[in-house]
Amino acid sequence: MGMGMGIKIVVAFFCLMQLELNARPISYSGGSTLMAFSDDMKTSLYYHYSPSHKYSIGIESLNDKAFKDSYSYARLSYLVLRKNTEHSQTNLYFKSGISSKGLENIFYGINGDWETRRWFTGFSFKKIKTRSRNYRDQYYQFGIAPYLGDYGDLHTWITVKIKENSLDDKWSAYPVLKFFKGNVLLELGYGKVSQWDMHLMYRF
Amino acid sequence: MKYIFLILIAVMSFSSWGEAVKHAHGSQDNHLHEQLVDGSKLDVDPKRFSRFIKNLADLQIVIVSVKGMVCDFCARGLEKTFKKDGSVKKIDVDLKKGKIFIAYPTDKNIDFNDIKQKIVANGQDAFDMQIITL
Repeated sequence: MGMGMGIKIVVAFFCLMQLELNARPISYSGGSTLMAFSDDMKTSLYYHYSPSHKYSIGIESLNDKAFKDSYSYARLSYLVLRKNTEHSQTNLYFKSGISSKGLENIFYGINGDWETRRWFTGFSFKKIKTRSRNYRDQYYQFGIAPYLGDYGDLHTWITVKIKENSLDDKWSAYPVLKFFKGNVLLELGYGKVSQWDMHLMYRF
Repeated sequence: MKYIFLILIAVMSFSSWGEAVKHAHGSQDNHLHEQLVDGSKLDVDPKRFSRFIKNLADLQIVIVSVKGMVCDFCARGLEKTFKKDGSVKKIDVDLKKGKIFIAYPTDKNIDFNDIKQKIVANGQDAFDMQIITL
């Protein structure tokens, strides 16, 4: 079985499992991204299209584990700030979503990152409003690339993610491994509190 | 007479500058010269560049210096964006040096502003360009 076939099977698996991902909410101009994500709070699938490198629009279908509910978000992400240097890139994004349940279910927040080829830091802060309760969700992530791969190689990051949400008011920290090759990115993390944290992204 | 002489010098200087930028060293045997004819240094990974130009001929190679190109995943869009231009024969990304190599036909008019716009559309910034004719 070839590498390409293996990747297709992994993508199909995550699509069927209705997962989703939050990293890099905007692609290049004209680019589409399919993201899958799963953690202790939700599982979801998110597709977005970027008319320009400044913003993206998308649809997220999610299973809300906290409130045992399922719905979709119409999402908008906007690049507030980007700073490019010869050896680093800094990004700050605004993100928002309106649920299929109307204005009673919305979210908004910011996320950002700074990375070089060796180091990575990122964060996310999100306010979520639901019919029954409002809460916040935040994480911070730090990482290092153990080796510097060439263009087209398999790239690997070893990171630590620290996250909290105001529903259970507990912080948890756990290791997350990030891999990417070509147009596919995969993040896998596991913590005692958060259990499995899985992100998959396919850009096309 | 003095003014005609000055204008001639100005025109000759301008044309020789244009020549230096457009026709930097390169040769049919694909041997890499580190010094361009305008005196500037070719700042590329020689091995990578030699690999790129292997079996290429009668083309001009545009070497673009890019800021913010720190991740393979993010640089993917550059390849896709440039490949939409049918005149692009080959493209490669050097993450370590922050360079993109793009092979165009020799009759293609290279517009740095157009290249910069394509790179901005992918989220990075281009700040320098060198051209080698093979």
